[in-house]
Amino acid sequence: MAAFKPGLVHTPVTPFKSDQSIDFDTYARIIEFHLKNGADALALPMPEGEDLSLTDGEQRQLLEFALKQVNGRVPVMAHASDAGTSIAVARAKHAEQAGAAAIVSHPPYFWHPKASMVVEHLVRIGTAVKLPFYIVNPPIESVGTTLTTDITLQVIERVPNLAGVIDACLEFVFMEEVISNGKRLRPDFQLVAGADFMVTAGALGGIGAFSPLSAIAPKLARGLYDLCRQEKFVEARRMQEDLAALHHAIKETGISGLKDGLAGMKAALAFMGRECGQPRPPVKPAGAIERGRLTDALSAMAFLRAEPRGW
Amino acid sequence: MPITLKGVMQAPVTPLKDDFSFDGDGFAKMVDFHVRHGAPAIAWPHHKAESLNLTIAERKLGAEIAVKTVAGRVPVSIFAGTLSEEDSLDIARHAQKIGADMLLTISPYCRRPAQEEIFDSIVRIATHTELPVLTYNSPWRNGEGVEFTSDLTRRLIDRLPNYIGMKDASFHSAKFLEISRVALNMRPGFAIIMGVEHLLASYPLGACGSFSSSGAIAPNLCNKFFAALEAHDWALARECQFKISHLWSLFKEQYPSSLKGAMIMMGRPVGPTRSPLPTATKERIEFLRTQLEKLNILQTEPHGW
Repeated sequence: MAAFKPGLVHTPVTPFKSDQSIDFDTYARIIEFHLKNGADALALPMPEGEDLSLTDGEQRQLLEFALKQVNGRVPVMAHASDAGTSIAVARAKHAEQAGAAAIVSHPPYFWHPKASMVVEHLVRIGTAVKLPFYIVNPPIESVGTTLTTDITLQVIERVPNLAGVIDACLEFVFMEEVISNGKRLRPDFQLVAGADFMVTAGALGGIGAFSPLSAIAPKLARGLYDLCRQEKFVEARRMQEDLAALHHAIKETGISGLKDGLAGMKAALAFMGRECGQPRPPVKPAGAIERGRLTDALSAMAFLRAEPRGW
Repeated sequence: MPITLKGVMQAPVTPLKDDFSFDGDGFAKMVDFHVRHGAPAIAWPHHKAESLNLTIAERKLGAEIAVKTVAGRVPVSIFAGTLSEEDSLDIARHAQKIGADMLLTISPYCRRPAQEEIFDSIVRIATHTELPVLTYNSPWRNGEGVEFTSDLTRRLIDRLPNYIGMKDASFHSAKFLEISRVALNMRPGFAIIMGVEHLLASYPLGACGSFSSSGAIAPNLCNKFFAALEAHDWALARECQFKISHLWSLFKEQYPSSLKGAMIMMGRPVGPTRSPLPTATKERIEFLRTQLEKLNILQTEPHGW
């Protein structure tokens, strides 16, 4: 298999109208914004795109719409994650037929199965397609189980098209162990930074990055990514600190027990002049006071002045 | 004179005699070994030194031996974390009296403290001493443990002129940056020291070094690793990091029992481990020997004292 390299991957949000339907006109604008502002690839609908709140039909429709809109300009990676294995498998197969460039899957949502069952779930998705397959290690406070190095190694051994792990858990020990042991089994195994924390993953030998914050600060994310690609990790510290401050401000907005950042993300998008509506229920939008606090925090971030406003 | 903290700093284990009593002579030998093998600082007694299984009297005695043995060659940090805040204050007073260079502290263990409680604890301990103070960030999953958020770090730097650094055991990109992005900008030179040598992940972000998990086994590897980081030689740094991570994976279970077991194979026996931690079995020690040989550590690191 020719090695697919994801590069800097933007992960678009999903915009909703006030009647909770998907706002496809705005989605087209979002995609154009990402392509104009440094995306090497798109991945959708990731957790930042509220995949949990979309029906199976909507997820398929969203992917087909995106593929048509992108029209081959960059690869589109399809996210197929669910609680039930067969649901996730069917969605991954659909994505392959529709023309996605790669499949991205979380360990099963909701359940906390034994390691062997997590492996089985991921193996069944990965072997149902021929595309490059990426598995995600979610943040520890996330909605299902997490990956371990051991689970990852077993998936590598059983899925020939397993390309890499996307790390959103941000734990040093997992990253060190998974890349050093993973590369022993498969020399082109990829560690991909999962949540805009590119310096650490890059220093450890990772390539590529999923960047939710590119929706807000695409220039900063691109600058940081390019420095990491040149292995200028020490020089990248300032930019990484700025992006971490933005990450913090967004995650602290809203009342999500998971600190999922969905309310903060949509409020920050509105602040940047890109109105994408509110998160879908049951996620509560940011209230007036929180919105004010976020606005103050964003206004104090000098680096945001260099970022594009509006579409 | 301000203290410069940089590199892989050594946190000695606590040698015990066969009857589990504190081995003062062995401890002096251990400390001296570290200093002779390039330790840029000595820090004791961390968890690796079975801190909470030592009496307060033993901790004071060990602190005196450490300061006397090091004899000014490198800075000495004394750890004041205990179950009771009154004991921590006692250790802080003692550390200053005997001439230690700095104090590492955390709010008392076995609580699930609120940010305000951590703030009060640290302020009480740090204003109780004139020594420079480091704190210990030890967040567990799901909000347990003692976590220094960016807000807490900012308030403590504002409040405490003698607050010079953080031992960070979050081992997590976002949590590390919560501290570093505030501390390094408010107080340039603030020392962020990793609790274990997860330095490739954190050095580029501003970590100045680590307290060592594996230095009693592989001091040469530790020093080579830090030199590679300083030279921005990322390929060599990766090679060293992955080797050290492998060692850590061998030691982390029931730390420090396996580490003490492996020291036998390096010709530096330091005795058993105090209960409730187990002492490494013969089989475990033999397994560790084969691993150390496979990693080329038996062959390249100092044997004996």
